Amino acid sequence: MNSRRLLLHPWLRILCQLVLGGLFIAAAVPKLLDPPGFAKALWAYRLFPGWSLHPLALVVPWFEFLCGSALVLGLWKRAAAASIGALLLGFILALSINLARRHPVDCGCFSTQASNRSDAERLADMRWTILRDLGMLLLAAQILAASRPRKDL
Amino acid sequence: MLCALISNGIARPARRLALTSAPPPTAKAIPLAVPATPQIQPVIPPAPPVPKPDLPEIRKPRPQEAPKPNPVVPGNAFPLRPGQPIREISSREAAEAFQAGVPFLDARRTAEFELGRVRGAWSLPMWESTLEERLIEFEAKVNRPPEAALVLYCGGGSCEDSHLLASRLFQLGYRNLLIYRDGYPEWVAQGRPSTKGQVR
Repeated sequence: MNSRRLLLHPWLRILCQLVLGGLFIAAAVPKLLDPPGFAKALWAYRLFPGWSLHPLALVVPWFEFLCGSALVLGLWKRAAAASIGALLLGFILALSINLARRHPVDCGCFSTQASNRSDAERLADMRWTILRDLGMLLLAAQILAASRPRKDL
Repeated sequence: MLCALISNGIARPARRLALTSAPPPTAKAIPLAVPATPQIQPVIPPAPPVPKPDLPEIRKPRPQEAPKPNPVVPGNAFPLRPGQPIREISSREAAEAFQAGVPFLDARRTAEFELGRVRGAWSLPMWESTLEERLIEFEAKVNRPPEAALVLYCGGGSCEDSHLLASRLFQLGYRNLLIYRDGYPEWVAQGRPSTKGQVR
């Protein structure tokens, strides 16, 4: 079995779906339970206009939850993986902009609570978070590639 | 979208967001005076959207009058400084304000407030849907003139909720807002009077 077939193996795709879907469900639950906390986390990024904070804080967690659930359940895999990929690109961009301007933020990814860490610790965490998001982006890419409709049938 | 609206509708008030929001105030117009501590940036960040529920007439902003330099307010140990409607105060000044009976406003979340707060503080959680009704209650019960001092605090450190609350109160016409930058953790560390329990 060559490496390409191994990378696109259906069992690997299912594993990626479960891991990525599970991560997104885990990320969505704290935000669903505390929209004001997530709105505050979004505000801290200094990227979103004031009028958009509350709608984003209400809708994004549900979007994450539904996409994550779809991946775990194996429904609309490609649409869910593509949506999660788009979300991840947005998260990476938001973190990168703040990292570039040395503005430390709490990620707000898996918790809505503000931490008591120093600015240096937050900036370091932001770098790790970008790496983690890139890893998740690879999982989404694997799902998209492995669930591509076959033309040779 | 529907899920979001339903879940927000059935959430507890402390976990609910207002659906309508106003654009952030022009924060640059608000002068912030700071003590001589070099690490503090004299900039108020753009405020979050402010919920706008159906409110009674009491919510109209106070008339914008020229600030009076030294108003005669009984018990006001912190007279208005011209050109400094919002300024940061030290821990010592916060203790003096407490001794002088200046109202303390807690901008943290309700859950944090209930875990511990400056004794006698009012809960005005910046990010919760109950902010506006609590502002109404505060104004009705305290009824202080706009030039009387108010101390605002939150969780210290990188917490900026007290600054955001100051922006909101500035919009409402208050002109003597003292931000206790070090916030509640420092207040407790100094062994000053605190209490806990549910919001009154």
